[in-house]
Amino acid sequence: MKRALAKEFWQRFRRHRLGLTGAMVVLLLFIVSLAAPVFSPYDPSYIDIKSILEPPSYEHPLGTDQLGRDVLSRIIWGGRISLMVGFVAVGIATVVGVFLGAMAGYYAGYVDTIIMRFVDIMLCFPTFFLILAVVALLEPSIWNIMVVIGATGWMGMARLIRAEILSVKERDYVLAARALGASHARIIWRHIIPNAMAPVLVAATLGVAAAILTESALSFLGIGVQPPTPSWGNILTAGKDSIEVAWWLSFYPGMAILITVLGYNLLGEGIRDAIDPRLRDGRG
Amino acid sequence: MPYNASLDMKTPAKIWEISGRMFLAWGFFVLLSCLACSPPGGGSETPGRPAEAGPPCYGDTLITGSIGEPSNLIPILASDSSSHEVAGLIYNGLVKYDKDLKLVGDLAESFEVSKSGLVITFHLRKGVRWHDGQPFTAADVLFTYKTMVDPHTPTAYAEDFLQVEKAEAADPYTFRVTYKKPFAPALASWGISILPGHLLEGRDIMKSPLARHPVGTGPFIFKEWKTGEKVVLAYNPDYFEGRPYIDRYIYRIIPDSATMFMELKAGGIDNMGLTPLQYARQTEYRKFKENFNKYRYPAFAYTYLGFNLEDEKFRDRRVRQAVSYAIDRGEIIEGVLLGLGQEATGPYKPGTWAYNPNVKRYPYDAVKARELLQEAGWRDTDGDGILDKDGIPFRFTIITNQGNDIRARTAEIIQRRLKEVGIDVKIRIIEWAAFIKEFIEKKTFEATILGWTITQDPDIYDVWHSSKNKPGELNFISYRNTEVDALLERGRRTFDQEERRKIYWRIQEILAEEVPYVFLYVPDALPVVQARFKGIEPAAAGITYNLIKWYVPKAEQRYKMIAHSS
Repeated sequence: MKRALAKEFWQRFRRHRLGLTGAMVVLLLFIVSLAAPVFSPYDPSYIDIKSILEPPSYEHPLGTDQLGRDVLSRIIWGGRISLMVGFVAVGIATVVGVFLGAMAGYYAGYVDTIIMRFVDIMLCFPTFFLILAVVALLEPSIWNIMVVIGATGWMGMARLIRAEILSVKERDYVLAARALGASHARIIWRHIIPNAMAPVLVAATLGVAAAILTESALSFLGIGVQPPTPSWGNILTAGKDSIEVAWWLSFYPGMAILITVLGYNLLGEGIRDAIDPRLRDGRG
Repeated sequence: MPYNASLDMKTPAKIWEISGRMFLAWGFFVLLSCLACSPPGGGSETPGRPAEAGPPCYGDTLITGSIGEPSNLIPILASDSSSHEVAGLIYNGLVKYDKDLKLVGDLAESFEVSKSGLVITFHLRKGVRWHDGQPFTAADVLFTYKTMVDPHTPTAYAEDFLQVEKAEAADPYTFRVTYKKPFAPALASWGISILPGHLLEGRDIMKSPLARHPVGTGPFIFKEWKTGEKVVLAYNPDYFEGRPYIDRYIYRIIPDSATMFMELKAGGIDNMGLTPLQYARQTEYRKFKENFNKYRYPAFAYTYLGFNLEDEKFRDRRVRQAVSYAIDRGEIIEGVLLGLGQEATGPYKPGTWAYNPNVKRYPYDAVKARELLQEAGWRDTDGDGILDKDGIPFRFTIITNQGNDIRARTAEIIQRRLKEVGIDVKIRIIEWAAFIKEFIEKKTFEATILGWTITQDPDIYDVWHSSKNKPGELNFISYRNTEVDALLERGRRTFDQEERRKIYWRIQEILAEEVPYVFLYVPDALPVVQARFKGIEPAAAGITYNLIKWYVPKAEQRYKMIAHSS
C-alpha cells in the first residue's frame, strides 16, 4: 500500500518539471556541501594577504575576499552551514509545530483554545525582530541561530497540522481504531499524523528556504555565524563594503542564496502538487 | 581652530568612543577633531590641485559625513567623538593646540605659568560675545570649573580639575588657578569647552536645552539638529578670530562608510575619512583626483590586543610574549590597512618626543612563541593540535566592536596565526554599547581588540595606573606594576620635558617587556575633501585646525546662504 502511494507520488512528481529542477538543484547542493573538502579548491579560512580582492581567475574561479581567501571555497563551505541551519531549524519547527498542532487538533476544547491562542500570540511578534532580540541576548553562534529560527518558526506548522487533523480525525479508520480501544497516543501517532503529513512535508521544504534566508540575513547583519566560519550571509557583508572594487564578493554568494532558495521553493511546490489530493482533485 | 584640543585628545571616555564605534571612521575622526598628525610632508599626499586659487572669499557650505551622531552638545557631558567634533566648532577653550601642536591661547589672550608651575593666570580676551549676545567673562570660566568638579555633574573629564586647589576670577578678564601639587597636564586641561554661565547657572545641567541647542563663543553658530540626519551650523559674523569664510557647516549622519563614499562621489557630502580600501583602490582614477584632494598622515591613535590579566591563562608573562611573537604585525598592516599604517610598539606615536624607539620588539616568530608556551607549561598532550595544561585546552575569545571591519579582519588574521602555535581563538563581535557596558566595564572578557587615541600630553595615568581598575575605569585589563605606578605619578608631577621623557621611555620599556597589550599598529588618517575648498594646509595638527580659513572661490561655490538671522 505504502509502496503504491510512493509510486503514485513519483509518477506525478516526475511530470512536474520545475519541481524536478528544484530537486536536482537541492541534490546537487547536498552533494557539494557534504563533500565540501573534495570540491573546495582551498582551505576556506586560508588567509593570503598577497592576493587580496583578486578578480575571478583560473586560480581563484570566483575571486578572493579582503583577506585573500578563495571565494569559491568559502561559498562551498558556507553551503554546509546554510544546509545545516535550514535542516536543523526546520526540524525543530516541525517537531514543535507537529506536536502542538496535533494536541490542539486532536483534543480540541480548551487544549485547542490555549495552544491556538499561544500560536496567535507568537504570530503577533515580527519574527525577524524577535530573532534579532533573542540573538542579541544570547551569544551569537550557529547553534543558537538554528534553535532560535526553529523556535520562532513553528506556528505555521502547528496551524497546518491542526487543520489537517481536524479533518482526519473524523475519518472512518480513526473511528475504527477508537472503537477497537486504541489509546490516544496510538491513534495520534499511528493513524492521524501519518495521514496528515503531506502539507507538513511541503511546508518544511519551503521552510528550509526561509530558514536559509533568515540565517543569511542574520549573518549579513553580523549577528549570525561568526568569523572565520564562512556563511553566505557573512561573505555578502564583506562584499558590501567593497562592491565597487570587488563585485564577485557580493554577486556569487548572492547567487548561491538565490539558487538555493529557488531550488527549495520549486521542490516544495513540486511536492505539493504531487502529493496534495485536494489540489489534484481541483485540477481534475 | 576652536577645537578643544585637550578635551578631544585627553579625556578618557572620549578616547573610548573614538576607539570604538567611530573607529570605522577613524580617519574621519582624526580629520575633524584631532590635532594629531605628523609633520607636514611626512607621507601626506600632494593635492590634485594647487591649494591657492585666487583670494579667499565668503560663501558656500561644507558638508561633512559622519558615521556617528552627536549625543549631547554640552561637550563635558558627552563622551562620543561626534559630539566633540560638532561642539568643537561651537565652543572654545581657554587654550588650544596650534598647527604645530603647541599650546596657545584661545579664549585666553595670554597666560602665565608661575615659576613653581602651581599657578596659572589666564588673561581673557575682551569683547568676546556668546552667540546670544551676552559678553563672555571670567565668571563663565569659573562656572565651568565649578561644574566640572561638582560631583553631581556626570562628566568623564573631572579628574584633571580635581587637581585644582583654588580657582578664582580676579576680575572679569583674569582667571587664576592654583594646583596642590605640580600637575604637568594642567595647562592642556584648560582646552575644555567653556560653557555659558549665564544660561546654566543655578539650573540642572542635565535638563538644559543647551544639550540640543548649544550656545557658545566659537566660529559657528548652532542652527538646527535633525535627529538621525544632520546638524546645521552657520558662520559667526562676530567671531574673535574673524568670521569663517564658509557660510555653513553641515554635519551629515550616514552610518555606513560605503554609502558615505557613494554620497561623496555624488556630491552629497564634501569630506569624510576614507577606509584604507577606498583610499588605495577606489580613489585612484583621474576623475576622482580632479574632484577631491586626499590626505594621508599617521593618526594619533593605536590599536592593540589587550589581555584580561585577571584571567588565569594570561597571568604568565611568557604566554603574553608568546602571543606577541605569534602575531605578524606586518601582515596585518599589509593585509588589513593595505600598508596605510605602521607598527606600534607602545602607547605613543612614533616620532614624538615621548616615543621610545628602542624597546623590545616582537618580530613574527612562531618557533619562539611555541618555545615560550612550552616553558609556561602549555603542551599538546592529546594531539588535537591545541595546547593544553592540566587538561584544559588553550582557548580564548577575542571580542571587538561591531561596525569596524578593520578590527574584525585584524582579529581573523590573529586567529589564524595563533592557531598555528596551538591556541584556539574564537572571535566575537559585539554591538558597541553592549560591548562597553557588558564586557569591558564588567571585565567579562578574555582578550579584546580596541584602540586608544594618543594624547598630546604623554600622561597615561588613567589607562595604566593600578588604581584605575575599578569597573568603568580605563585600566580594564587590570594591569598592576608598582614601578609603572610610581613612574606615572612622577611623570605628571614634573614639567621638565627631559625628565618626563626618561620616565615615559622607561614605562614603554616595561610595557614592552611585560606585554599587557600586544601593540598592533598606528593607522594612517585618510581624510578627503572636495577640491573646490582652498586654504587647506596640512600640518602637524592635521588639516582641520584652520577650518575657518577654508574657502571656495566664488565661481566654484555650490550653495547659496540663506539670509543670516542672528
